[in-house]
Amino acid sequence: MKKLLVFLSLIFVLSAFAQKPIKIGAILPLSDITGRQAANAMKLAVKEINDAGGILGRPVELIIVDDEMKPEKGAAAVDKLATVDKVDFFVGGMSSGVHLAQIPILKKYKKITVWIGAASYKCEEAIGADADWYFHLHPWDYLQGESYAIGWKAIVERYPQVKIEKIFLAYEEGAFGTASFKSYLDEFELAKQGTGVWAGLMKDLKGAPFKSAALGGGDYRAMLLQAKQYDPDLFIWAGYDADAVPMLTQAKEIGFAPKLFVGAPPGWPADFGKNPLSHGVVLYGMWAPALKDVSPIARHFWDAYIKEFNEEPATYFAPLGYTNIYFLVEAIKKAGTLEDKAIIKALREIEYESPVGGILKISPSRIIKNQGFRAQKILQWQNGTQHVIWPFEYATAQLIYPFPGWSGR
Amino acid sequence: MRKLSFIIGAVIFAVFLPTFADMYLIHVASSIMIFMCLALSWDMMLRTGQLSFGTAGFFGLGAYAAIIAVDDFSVSPVMSIFIGAIFAALIALGLGVAVLRLREMYFAITTLALTSVFMVLARNLSNLTGGAAGKILFHAIFDGDPKKIYWLILSFAIVVIALSEVFERTRIKYAISSIRNDELVAKSCGINIFKYLLFVFIITSAIQGAAGAIYAQQYAFVEPESTFSSNFLLLPVAMALVGGIYSTPGPIVGAIVLGFASEYLKLLMPYGHLIIYGIIIILTIIFLRKGVYGTILDKVRSK
Repeated sequence: MKKLLVFLSLIFVLSAFAQKPIKIGAILPLSDITGRQAANAMKLAVKEINDAGGILGRPVELIIVDDEMKPEKGAAAVDKLATVDKVDFFVGGMSSGVHLAQIPILKKYKKITVWIGAASYKCEEAIGADADWYFHLHPWDYLQGESYAIGWKAIVERYPQVKIEKIFLAYEEGAFGTASFKSYLDEFELAKQGTGVWAGLMKDLKGAPFKSAALGGGDYRAMLLQAKQYDPDLFIWAGYDADAVPMLTQAKEIGFAPKLFVGAPPGWPADFGKNPLSHGVVLYGMWAPALKDVSPIARHFWDAYIKEFNEEPATYFAPLGYTNIYFLVEAIKKAGTLEDKAIIKALREIEYESPVGGILKISPSRIIKNQGFRAQKILQWQNGTQHVIWPFEYATAQLIYPFPGWSGR
Repeated sequence: MRKLSFIIGAVIFAVFLPTFADMYLIHVASSIMIFMCLALSWDMMLRTGQLSFGTAGFFGLGAYAAIIAVDDFSVSPVMSIFIGAIFAALIALGLGVAVLRLREMYFAITTLALTSVFMVLARNLSNLTGGAAGKILFHAIFDGDPKKIYWLILSFAIVVIALSEVFERTRIKYAISSIRNDELVAKSCGINIFKYLLFVFIITSAIQGAAGAIYAQQYAFVEPESTFSSNFLLLPVAMALVGGIYSTPGPIVGAIVLGFASEYLKLLMPYGHLIIYGIIIILTIIFLRKGVYGTILDKVRSK
């Protein structure tokens, strides 16, 4: 009898997997650590799902194509996945420039797309309001900006000693920094009129450009002296990872230690936390490894990723890639069919607790109907570790305030 | 006669490709033809002895001109391609008067710097260009119909190949080859060096501008980092070097070899394909000094 049961179970499992797989097509830049780890995390999610029996009695097949961070390659990848591999869904994404080229092709196929990259509001404009098949999980750039203000307001309420009235923004003179400064200027104008997300918080704003070390610069002294003279409550720099260490070294050199020292580069240098100057530096991000200490799903992801790939997830695109697959699969399960309308409805209804930290729930943004995450987190380097300070439900440490200064390090 | 039959066969094959190929192949072939036109235009300038690194700059200028023409002035997308070409040509005319006084690495570095200048302008003239975020169109050319886009790019490629052949088969060839070999001798033969250099610079810039305009209309956007990317300089140069410089077939062969190698290598090796691709380029340049086409031609002639 026992043998018969084992035999029947085997037949059942084999027949399930003999079914045509549900194909998910992912497009990521694989030569970049961010894309590579996102791809790994997607593979991990698919492995777990298949080990648990697949979905709708069918296995899941993940086909990943490298976009090489080139618009035309990313656009051709959509055509390949749609016409050669005949995938059922599109996932992935990273660069906004690549995504802008993909959007006309995605509109042609209108397959359900769950995208984790591309923060530029131009992508939202290009997709338009009618694309009900399009789901965007990464916060748009303006949502990120708004979330910082919301986070700081919450911190000011929680920590009465914290004051954020005078802000100094040091920005790299290229596209990234200039755009950051422009958005702060716009928000400041609104704040002066008592509207916008920074109203009641930002009373004065000053900015100064610098040439990023990543683009041949690296001397920040003139800008830092200006900032020191201004004596801001919050000093924030928008540059690249190459600026992080020399910026701190030169700030120490001239004795500039604002009460809040915030860095907003797209990525941080490897082992930045090991540098003693990093202690107390605040940063923005969607995820921190320390989340594993407060979130069971983040812990599960962390352990499973290391077990599978023998390396630690180093960028938030790893848990985001994992979320990308699970969010779609949960919706397919809920819909119980591969019919587009049912899955779109399910994607709009489900709530998924993500290892990124937070419940993923779809709601409209300025233009599109299906926006996922809306906020970044406020983090702080503390003794070599990135800790979550806000949102408080995911906090892994208290804010160190004021910035500890430079003596002894 | 065999050569003519081959050309006619190739053109017929290219024209009818979309009737039997999948969308992916059509898309890849369209991209390859865009880069092929850039490679040919770079080579056409090189035939004068001047190494231009301004390919990405004029490509970007054409792209921006085309998107602005459609978005701000309601010009038809097809017409905007001509506007992109004319705009790039006019800028080349204006700048050529100054930069074509320079030679060798001074000319090369100046044309490279021009790309940066164009990008900074695109980033900062926000009201016109959309600034750092760029500019989008809500519809790609021909409503994104890949077959029509392919035929548009094929027509453009045929025009560029024909132009390159005009440079090879008329007295322009003798003038520019003479300038490349020895300017003093060329001058003493009565060749107006500046006039020829300016003429070639304008024509090649117009080709690059048109290529940028088509690319921008195909994907319906411009953005400073992507549109002025060094990819639109380095890849065409690699294609011309791999295929063989100073000829029309060389850059065509290089574009086909590298274009398909780059696309299909990654299907075989999702990780690390770019390393293999780079090694192929380096080895070809080192061991096939005349490029793939030049080497094959030598072998055929020696038989």
